Amino acid sequence: MSLSRKALADKILVLGIDGMDPKLTKKYVAEGKMPNTKKFIERGAQREDLVMLGAQPTVTPPMWTTLATGAYPVTHGITCFYRQSKDSLDVIEYNLDSSKCQAEQLWNVFAEAGKKTLVWHWPGSSWPPTSTSPNLSVVDGTQPGNVNMGVAIVDPEKILVASVKTEEVTYKKQAATEGEVPCVISDLKVQKSTYNLAESVKAKKKTRILLTKEDGEGALPETPFDVVYSPIKDAAGWADAPADAREFTMLHAGGLIRRPCLILKNADGVYDRVAIYKSKKETEPMAVLEQGVYVRDLLDEAIKDDDKKVIANRNMRILYLEPNGEQVRMWISAGMDTTNDDLWHPASLFKTVTENIAFPQPTCLIGNASVQIARECMIATWQASADWQADVLNYLIEKENFEIIFSHFHNVDLAGHMIIHKLKKGGKGTPEDYKQMLEDVYRQTDGYIGRFLHLLDEGWTVLIVSDHAAVCPEHNPPLIGDMTGLNVTLMRELGFTNIKQDAEGNDLKEIDWAKTKAVANRGNHIYLNIKGRDKYGIVEPEDQYEVEEEIMTALYGYKDSVTGKRVIAMALRNKDAVLLGLGGPESGDIIYWTAEGYNYDHCDSLSTTCGYGGTSVSPIFMAAGPGFKTGFKTDRIIREVDVAPTVAVIGGVRMPAQCEGAPVYQILSEEF
Amino acid sequence: MELKNLNAVTFEEIVYDNCENCLVVFSRKTCHVCAEVVPMVEEIAEKYKDKFGFYRVDSEEQRDLYNRFSLRGVPQLLFFKDGDYQGKLAGKVEEEQLEEKIEELL
Repeated sequence: MSLSRKALADKILVLGIDGMDPKLTKKYVAEGKMPNTKKFIERGAQREDLVMLGAQPTVTPPMWTTLATGAYPVTHGITCFYRQSKDSLDVIEYNLDSSKCQAEQLWNVFAEAGKKTLVWHWPGSSWPPTSTSPNLSVVDGTQPGNVNMGVAIVDPEKILVASVKTEEVTYKKQAATEGEVPCVISDLKVQKSTYNLAESVKAKKKTRILLTKEDGEGALPETPFDVVYSPIKDAAGWADAPADAREFTMLHAGGLIRRPCLILKNADGVYDRVAIYKSKKETEPMAVLEQGVYVRDLLDEAIKDDDKKVIANRNMRILYLEPNGEQVRMWISAGMDTTNDDLWHPASLFKTVTENIAFPQPTCLIGNASVQIARECMIATWQASADWQADVLNYLIEKENFEIIFSHFHNVDLAGHMIIHKLKKGGKGTPEDYKQMLEDVYRQTDGYIGRFLHLLDEGWTVLIVSDHAAVCPEHNPPLIGDMTGLNVTLMRELGFTNIKQDAEGNDLKEIDWAKTKAVANRGNHIYLNIKGRDKYGIVEPEDQYEVEEEIMTALYGYKDSVTGKRVIAMALRNKDAVLLGLGGPESGDIIYWTAEGYNYDHCDSLSTTCGYGGTSVSPIFMAAGPGFKTGFKTDRIIREVDVAPTVAVIGGVRMPAQCEGAPVYQILSEEF
Repeated sequence: MELKNLNAVTFEEIVYDNCENCLVVFSRKTCHVCAEVVPMVEEIAEKYKDKFGFYRVDSEEQRDLYNRFSLRGVPQLLFFKDGDYQGKLAGKVEEEQLEEKIEELL
């Protein structure tokens, strides 16, 4: 007997929004700030609270892999942003690599069933493609930030400061983290760059010993940027410049590419525009920027590592232009190589997209430098990305006839990493500034969702899901667990980890393995240093159980120095962690989570954690279109592992091989 | 032919304003490799003196100019044509490499 099931929907779009919080979404929808999402909810089927019960760990690569496979991390094997290396307990390995995934991705099932399928920048086990089906197209997925961010940045993000007080043109690499760069060069030193999201793709294996929060995840919002300084003078030696124009110099490529610029007056005699020229001999500018206007897709040269020139796209904005033309401050985005199709399968898709829409957009990573840069550059750059991505996906739907799309967009999460932990105490701006920025990011997301609502009238089924969200902590997060490396401090305080010191007694970023019983490497994982298993092991294998007991007892007993309360929500042995979908060979000997109120952003949190300012770590689930009930609310707990089987049922294909979830029967239009 | 020294002002004039087809050697007096490379460049300069510009920047005396190009170490030979950067040669540059690069830009 053969049983077959017909598809409830022919065309399905999974609209992934990394970091989207159901609690905040619900609040903004209720306040009328997310009108498109409201329309979507009214047409769709989901829980009243929009919550999806998240799996663990609440971090991007494992959770997007769970969404794609319907399997828990214990099964698919992706258990943090990085992977624990077998070489040594302090080594981590790049994990946004589909070859590491031990569960079948649903997109392969669709492609192999004959559906034209697109996987768009899905940061969990999507790249390289794992099916040879000609129906499968895959774009990037090697880092969560933005399409091509890991491979195409050929020139770093920078701030240009030009002033009549500045004496010489100069280029300072990684010179500042503060947006208010002084216009006179004082003593800007190269800043410590400890974590770089784009660079993380290039290092396949690394050791990162973290002594402070700023050594690890806390470094992301403190990304240093390059600064270009230029004097402003009266324009001289130009082929064609207005008599009252002033000039300054813009530099790219670490100073090797120079573009003379004119500051131009308007009819009222106020300097309000900057014209960029290839050289002073040219009579036509390459671009004219107006004060306060964000400009996209400026094409100009950049120089790659191999010293070869390439055309890059950059976005720019004049941050400040003194009406008398005596000072200019500009933000210049990273330059993106317009030819890099390394992460496009098939490569022809890159040509299709760039010839018909535009080049992949840069990402602003210096949003924390000032409130102005956050608002006018970071959020604006995400808007450019949202516009570009919505244009591209709609084009591919319309012209390239894709039927099944798994897509991911990262504005909420990455902007959130700059904003969310500032909601309570503020930072460069007041708590109110950060509250407003967060709202702006959600409004932007609503606009992005709005770009796909028309599909519901064109026979498409759309699911909106996130992987996790993020919280603002009430208290100070403890120094344990960090997705970017081995976090020493709390485990050292508890006596389980020791580091070496120099002759003067200064701490070195080197583990003293002879005196280390266990380390907290990556987020959530503690590894015992076991003889015979680990390179420098000192714990006898027969003592493992007792040492685990000792560590868990110490963790539960650890109190925050200010509040006097516990900071660890839960610590489980590897064998017990299967209760939460973790454990197994890719997890630590102990898995732990920080207590509510002591979380940093999201990676260390249980997926049910809530935070200050109405924030939560939970992912979101909303679904509308053929196959789903209309305007329906369910009490059913919708788990992160349920997304893939639900999409499989709707699309009429078999379950992915290792799927552990179940379709959300209660919201489907047909009974099963 | 001895290389003409540039500072920030003359660099700007010659390379960018006059758009001279040229090379600029960034070097340091106390650098052993520079001591080998600079005389070789001077020799080549003689050969191309009417067709190509040859200049030198002392990376210690002109610290800001050296830093402006985010260079790491000396000697480094930067090539320019029409005010545009045309690539560089670094370290113990061989005569053949240098001539090849100059010919490419002529």
